[in-house]
Amino acid sequence: MDSSMATPSIAADHRPAHLQLINVWKRFGPPERQTVAVRNVDLAIQPGEFVTLIGPSGCGKSTLFNMIAGLIAPDDDGSILLSNKVQQDYGLLGKVAFMPQRDLLFPWRTVIDNATLPLEIEGVSRKAARARAEALFPEFGLEGFETHYPHQLSGGMRQRVALMRTFLFERDLVLLDEPFGALDALTRSMMQRWLLDVWAKHRRTVLFITHDIDEAIFLGDKVVVMTARPGTIKCAERINLPRPRAASVTTTGEFIDIKRRLLAVVEEESLKTFGGATLA
Amino acid sequence: MVAGGVTWRDRLAVVIGLATLFIVWQAATMLFAVPDYILPRPLDIAWAIVERREQIWRALLFTLAETGAGFAIGALIGIGLAVCLVLIPPCEAVVMPLAVAINAVPSVAFVPLALIWFGLGMGSKIAMAVLAIAFIVLLNALSGLKKPEQGHIDLMRSFGAGRFGILWRLRLPAAMPSIVTGLRVGLGRSTIAVIVAEMLGAYDGIGQIVYQSTAQVDYLSVWAAVLTAMLGSLALYGCLVAIDRKLIWWR
Repeated sequence: MDSSMATPSIAADHRPAHLQLINVWKRFGPPERQTVAVRNVDLAIQPGEFVTLIGPSGCGKSTLFNMIAGLIAPDDDGSILLSNKVQQDYGLLGKVAFMPQRDLLFPWRTVIDNATLPLEIEGVSRKAARARAEALFPEFGLEGFETHYPHQLSGGMRQRVALMRTFLFERDLVLLDEPFGALDALTRSMMQRWLLDVWAKHRRTVLFITHDIDEAIFLGDKVVVMTARPGTIKCAERINLPRPRAASVTTTGEFIDIKRRLLAVVEEESLKTFGGATLA
Repeated sequence: MVAGGVTWRDRLAVVIGLATLFIVWQAATMLFAVPDYILPRPLDIAWAIVERREQIWRALLFTLAETGAGFAIGALIGIGLAVCLVLIPPCEAVVMPLAVAINAVPSVAFVPLALIWFGLGMGSKIAMAVLAIAFIVLLNALSGLKKPEQGHIDLMRSFGAGRFGILWRLRLPAAMPSIVTGLRVGLGRSTIAVIVAEMLGAYDGIGQIVYQSTAQVDYLSVWAAVLTAMLGSLALYGCLVAIDRKLIWWR
């Protein structure tokens, strides 16, 4: 009975987390000259939640990401749980849909063959894979470009192909590492709204890295802020802006209040990274 | 697609180039009355080819067969070895110094050994062609297979691809341009190796004609054989360019 009295955000946290990080550390180098990239990260993401992660550059975001993707093993201090199951080192490979910063399309494959790459690796027949990809082309705004090669596409289109490839790798957890970082502001804001549409339709759990506060607030159910290196979670803020969100939401008082609060935190951390070098 | 195909203009340019060369050559040899044993006239050489067509044609087929067989076997060995080294990285430290050492010696230095081991027939020529091409293809294929950066490899891993999946879907296609370069260089080298081996001991082939005609002071036949070999190599090279287009279709 008590749980029904709780605020929605607390109630949400009582469900079993889709992804849970408990005391995750990553250190590089030999013991005497060790650098700590990520320290003591605790993070829980609920099923279907859109969580955005911001932090100063070089704070270990990508290291954290690579650990969640299973590409590098976290140190033995803590563990990563997917659907409440503790994951072995590299056990997450093939369980998480991971999209790195760059589109990493293969120049020798056409758009459709790039998109179906993960299905091919899973052993889906070429015909079935193509049929599934073709159904997504209109939604991803790539209709008519199936047989083009990547070098014939614009940056925004290449990024959509990469996103389609990630989506065709049908995993409930999607990791996106600054997917719109290299796009111009106009294209980026269009891609953000489009991504929210796609997400609303498919309802995957999303962890989205960015260094753009506006983007983090606009997209996320929850914004998580990382500290300067060695990175850990500084704070998390639940974003209760109504969905679906229009571009105009970024000019509301509520949005600006959240932004002011987060900006203060992020600035403080950025200064720490910066401070040693220039402000000393 | 914007493929860099060979246009009729390119072909015309080659024909014009060759025609100019032969006309100037013909004119110069006639004008300065150059003796035959120094530089025969192109028309005389052409006539010599027509006269000896049966012998030259048989020799050319012989040489081409040896080169082709050696090229195919050597290319397969080179690519296969490179694939093994990429799949089992510790082997590289053992094999590569050996490969580099063997490759450092001009392959024609091994001709006498090849003749002793494989006899005067086709075997020794094929072995020489294999030797001439296998290492250059190995070196190129290896550097090509290692070209994909960590980001691409990580992407494949995140999709659950294993070593073979990464090899087949990422490394091999990425290596194609390097492999093709290796094949081109290797083709030239194996042609040289075969002809030199034929000169040092063979029952037939272009190299043998060159050797015998030189011994008989028949310079016209030497030139006829050399010119035929040139045309044969050009044809082989043309085939290779066509194959290249299939192998690197996305350019």
